[in-house]
Amino acid sequence: MSRAERHRLSSLHDVELATLAAAGDRQAFGELVRRHGSAVRGLLRRMGASASEADDLAQDAFISAFESISEFRGEGAFAAWVKKIAARACMRRMQRAKRLRDLTAAGADDPAPVAHPDPGGRMDLDEALKALTDGERLCVSLCYGAGLSHGEAAEALNLPLGTVKSHVKRGLDKLRARLAPEDQSVEGRRDNG
Amino acid sequence: MAEVEFERALERMFARTPDISDAASFADRVQRRLDRGWAARRLLIGSAGVIGGVIGASQLIMSNLFSRAEAASSESARVLTSSVRQIAPQADWLFSRPAGVETVWVAAGLALLALGFVLTRIIEEI
Repeated sequence: MSRAERHRLSSLHDVELATLAAAGDRQAFGELVRRHGSAVRGLLRRMGASASEADDLAQDAFISAFESISEFRGEGAFAAWVKKIAARACMRRMQRAKRLRDLTAAGADDPAPVAHPDPGGRMDLDEALKALTDGERLCVSLCYGAGLSHGEAAEALNLPLGTVKSHVKRGLDKLRARLAPEDQSVEGRRDNG
Repeated sequence: MAEVEFERALERMFARTPDISDAASFADRVQRRLDRGWAARRLLIGSAGVIGGVIGASQLIMSNLFSRAEAASSESARVLTSSVRQIAPQADWLFSRPAGVETVWVAAGLALLALGFVLTRIIEEI
């Protein structure tokens, strides 16, 4: 691809690129992959996939997205659409590997202790997620990272809705406790600013 | 922090793109897979079309269908229905040939497969 062509594609909006991709323009789709590849891989890692698993799943998700790009109407963000595809693919792979039942079982092993941040210190999301059990992390990532509703997450995980809600609730409580110092400092800076 | 505010903040945190070092090479790998898939599809469509076309054409030529259909239609040009009646036995004759039936079906199947791919592509283009 020429430099001018790459420049032209990089100046286009996601929806325009998706329209070109729907017409068979693979270079346009490549630009979408360049823009959102890391976000999708990051989500899969947060869901508990290893780096190489996340890489494979993200590749499959993008290929699948290209195959069904005509279904993307531009009503939501392209990244959110691909993330849902990737999250569901991740669930399917985990179900095949029979890991899902272990991960989401109630009373699953508590996670390794995570050092609490210094007072007023910042803890990033990835660190905070380590404080969650696998099931909690999975449910929170699906609902807040992939944008699935509780019902959709329950369906993807093949779990009762109540179980998903419980995982999300407990996960949120833990995250709030971990991330609150950062949020408060952000709020404080806003007030001072 | 209110529940809803925290949930929105969490969504924003999830939406932040993590810095992954091999982002460019990942995009290249996906691009290569797309290109490979497209090349394979084109090869399949082309092969199926060519094979189906060659077999179908050879069968038509060998069965003298054109000359028989022409003769039938010239004989019964006045009335369309009688032409159909004339051509129908020719088609039956073609399919009743024991050596050619399987070949015609294979050709028809391949041609249909190619047509399906082409139609899918056209719909996608539209």
